[in-house]
Amino acid sequence: MGGESNEGEMGLNHGDDQSGISRVGMPLYAKSDPFFSSADWDPAVSVGGFSSSHYPSMGMDNPGMSCFPHYHQPGSGSGYHDMPASLLPFGDCGGGGGGHFLGSDKKGESVGRLVIAGDGHQVSDDVVLGGSSNRKRRQPEAESQWNKQKAVEEFQEEPQSQKKQKNDQSKEKMNKESSQSEEAPKENYIHMRARRGQATNSHSLAERVRREKISERMRLLQELVPGCNKITGKAVMLDEIINYVQSLQQQVEFLSMKLSTVNPELNIDIDRILAKDLLQSRDRNTPTLGLNPFARFQGTIPNISTTTAPQYNSLPQTTLESELQSLYQMGFVSNPSTMSSFSPNNGPLKPEL
Amino acid sequence: MERQIINKKKRVFSVEPNKIPPSEVFTRKYTRLLVPALKKLNMNKNSSQANQLTVKHEVDMALALSAQEFAWSRFLLQKLSSSNNPTTTTSSSSNGIRIQKRSGKEGGDEDGEIEEKLRELQKLLPGGEEMNVEEMLGEIGNYIKCLELQTIALKSIVEDTT
Repeated sequence: MGGESNEGEMGLNHGDDQSGISRVGMPLYAKSDPFFSSADWDPAVSVGGFSSSHYPSMGMDNPGMSCFPHYHQPGSGSGYHDMPASLLPFGDCGGGGGGHFLGSDKKGESVGRLVIAGDGHQVSDDVVLGGSSNRKRRQPEAESQWNKQKAVEEFQEEPQSQKKQKNDQSKEKMNKESSQSEEAPKENYIHMRARRGQATNSHSLAERVRREKISERMRLLQELVPGCNKITGKAVMLDEIINYVQSLQQQVEFLSMKLSTVNPELNIDIDRILAKDLLQSRDRNTPTLGLNPFARFQGTIPNISTTTAPQYNSLPQTTLESELQSLYQMGFVSNPSTMSSFSPNNGPLKPEL
Repeated sequence: MERQIINKKKRVFSVEPNKIPPSEVFTRKYTRLLVPALKKLNMNKNSSQANQLTVKHEVDMALALSAQEFAWSRFLLQKLSSSNNPTTTTSSSSNGIRIQKRSGKEGGDEDGEIEEKLRELQKLLPGGEEMNVEEMLGEIGNYIKCLELQTIALKSIVEDTT
């Protein structure tokens, strides 16, 4: 099935764009998971497991695979072109490689290499210095920037403000900027930018990658939890998510309690439930879950009752049928006669659709 | 009779015959696991006390088994099998701390607050505490989805039997 096979393949999905880079922490509801097909989500974002030796080639081999296409690409293609003087420090191509690569490698040199990778331009090692002191400042900035939710804008601001920021502790960025001004725009190479006033230390960059990943996931969660579209801010969002999960769990508990009281009925007809369920789940999911996989089926809800669109009309039934058939074959729901032995009523257990 | 008609139409109308949305997959799996289990349960015992707990156990078990592609389901299964007391996915009323105390702490404390909330979220997810934050956030998405489907399935089962 599409969903499951996708999930199984996720580890390999973007493996080809990175030479030998392993994706350890791939989120399971990433792009290839049809549950949450937020098409922008790039499962390439994973922290960890990048071998540094592959890094220099990463820049070359990654047309458009990155963890920040969604930050960058709206403006990135043009963005890089427009900002020749911008910092293009840490390529995060294909998944957090930049920050993490820095973490795994030696500090000064790694950053230098990162910066280069696109055009072989050597940046001095003093690029990343004293980064650790900048780390604490980064955090509140990161928070406020999360609230802005547009990293692209920040990046665009940066080059212009760079020149003014001599005072800023990010002197490293100055060095990078000057050396980068000759760089050709790197469209194939997504960089992890050290933001204005932020440390370019490998650790802080890795942390920033991580934070941005977290923010990305929170955005996805925002789509999942009903009523969170207007909420900005991590704290409120987390509140909502927590409340929602708790309410769902309580609902389940309540329903199971109810089930325990009504269980003696035992006239439970699986197929009836499923048939009902399918319709109802689509119906209910329309308002509550803004998921793309349902988009296809949402159109069937009005159609099911009519026969104007026969193909949609029987679509749920056909899938139900095929599922049932396979089930019967597997013997899971063995056959109605066997099932009747469970029921004291010996009621009609033949599937009736 | 209807079924025969459906049988005839079976091959004609499937738009995407092989693609079943995973939510459907889950729901089917879940229902098919749960219903027979409930039936078996019902045959076996009569006391309502044990009934509640065991029903919950079965409910959780069905959830975990239906969603085996996700990490949290493994943890859930572990919990279920290790203890016979089904206390896993319920956020019982004692746990139902609606987090609304944000108002007092803003600004500098914001970060710590968020961490705290993330921890809270981790507690809700089976196995959440063993995961790192990013992974947990991803798993929470799956978990929410499966919980939603589970509630729908349970509702329809309940409606069916009442």
